[in-house]
Amino acid sequence: MQIAPLSFLARSALGLTLLVLTASLPTGATAAPQTFNTALPVARGEFMLRQQFLYRKAEDDPSAADRDMEVLGGISVLGYGATGDLALFGVVPFLDKSLDLTTSGGARVTRDTSGLGDIRLFGRYTAFRADAKGRTFRIAPFVGIELPTGDDDDADSLGRLPALPQPGSGSWDPFFGVVATWQTLQYQIDAQASYKLNTEANGFEFGDELRLDASLQYRLWPRELGAGVPGFLYGVLEGNFVHRAKNRIGGADDPDSGGEQLFISPGLQYVTKRWVAEAIVQLPVAQNLNGAALEDDVIVRAGFRVNF
Amino acid sequence: MANPTIGRAAESRPSRKRRVQPMRKMLPPVLLALALTVATAAHTAGSAYKVHVAGLACPFCAYGIEKSLGAIDGVARVETHIEDGVVIVEMAEGATLDRAKAAQAVKDAGFTLDGFEAPAGSGQ
Repeated sequence: MQIAPLSFLARSALGLTLLVLTASLPTGATAAPQTFNTALPVARGEFMLRQQFLYRKAEDDPSAADRDMEVLGGISVLGYGATGDLALFGVVPFLDKSLDLTTSGGARVTRDTSGLGDIRLFGRYTAFRADAKGRTFRIAPFVGIELPTGDDDDADSLGRLPALPQPGSGSWDPFFGVVATWQTLQYQIDAQASYKLNTEANGFEFGDELRLDASLQYRLWPRELGAGVPGFLYGVLEGNFVHRAKNRIGGADDPDSGGEQLFISPGLQYVTKRWVAEAIVQLPVAQNLNGAALEDDVIVRAGFRVNF
Repeated sequence: MANPTIGRAAESRPSRKRRVQPMRKMLPPVLLALALTVATAAHTAGSAYKVHVAGLACPFCAYGIEKSLGAIDGVARVETHIEDGVVIVEMAEGATLDRAKAAQAVKDAGFTLDGFEAPAGSGQ
């Protein structure tokens, strides 16, 4: 009796969680958006390490299960400049997910799992570049794959977790996209379109995902630039539109999965020559999800980047 | 009553001060001049080139350019001025920087060479 609602969950809330988290892993290489990528370069032979901490809360459950979900995550990104135009990235997520729900028998239970998620590897190539003094415009396509490195057979006291709440998907999922960046000394605009082609594993397939992202960074301080390289404090406003197709279970569409979400995200970023500190709050302003899919309340991201 | 000994002693103190004070006052300028001489000597040991970089617009990107230019043989010091889009490259004594190497380093960093100024008398 307690497993039935978990299957329901698998078709709605947790599937959404995994999709959001895996699809929006930060991959920025330089002073860049916090929820997606940038076209700015990583110098040849240079490494960039980024660590982002994530908190996600979703509790507006329309169903009788009254689901309440929290996700804590640590996402590590290592970037390397193979050439001035080609950068290679590895993204390693570690996620801790906790889900409270009311079973059909009326009991309130918690199911949680944590561990290494699915690692992403991808390359990004600067296909177009127009540089001028104090400004640049770049377009960079990228392509990569999400590896099935996360466990997909975790269990708790209630038994094995369904496919969706598992830390890993078990599937090999390619993705691709293009990001454009317009950067001046005063502000920076990034825009990205990407698509993730999820494949089937163990009878389950996440719906494909289309993302459209945009970001504006505006230098708040210092107002005047002097000699040298002062640190920049940017005010940040990002937007993320996500469309997810329905998941498929045993070859059939899951009616309680997929849909569209739009996030608007204010944030701050302090950028120096060697490190970046940043934080952003993602607020859902529109959510059109199918069936009883769980809606997001808030996502908070904070972290740092260093280059070496 | 006047005490001639005390009087002499009192008279002698200012004279000692006059002898010591000038030396104390002279010490800081001497040290400063010495430091400036050493610093100037260090700076003039090699040539300074101005590398103009197009596309540089944020602090985090400046590190890549400095690292790339700094990896060139003979480079002693690299300093970026982001507002001007200029990187000053100081060479070790006897070393020179040619435009082709600077252009390759800037390209490796993902940017575009916008100009190259060699020091006067370098023949470049």
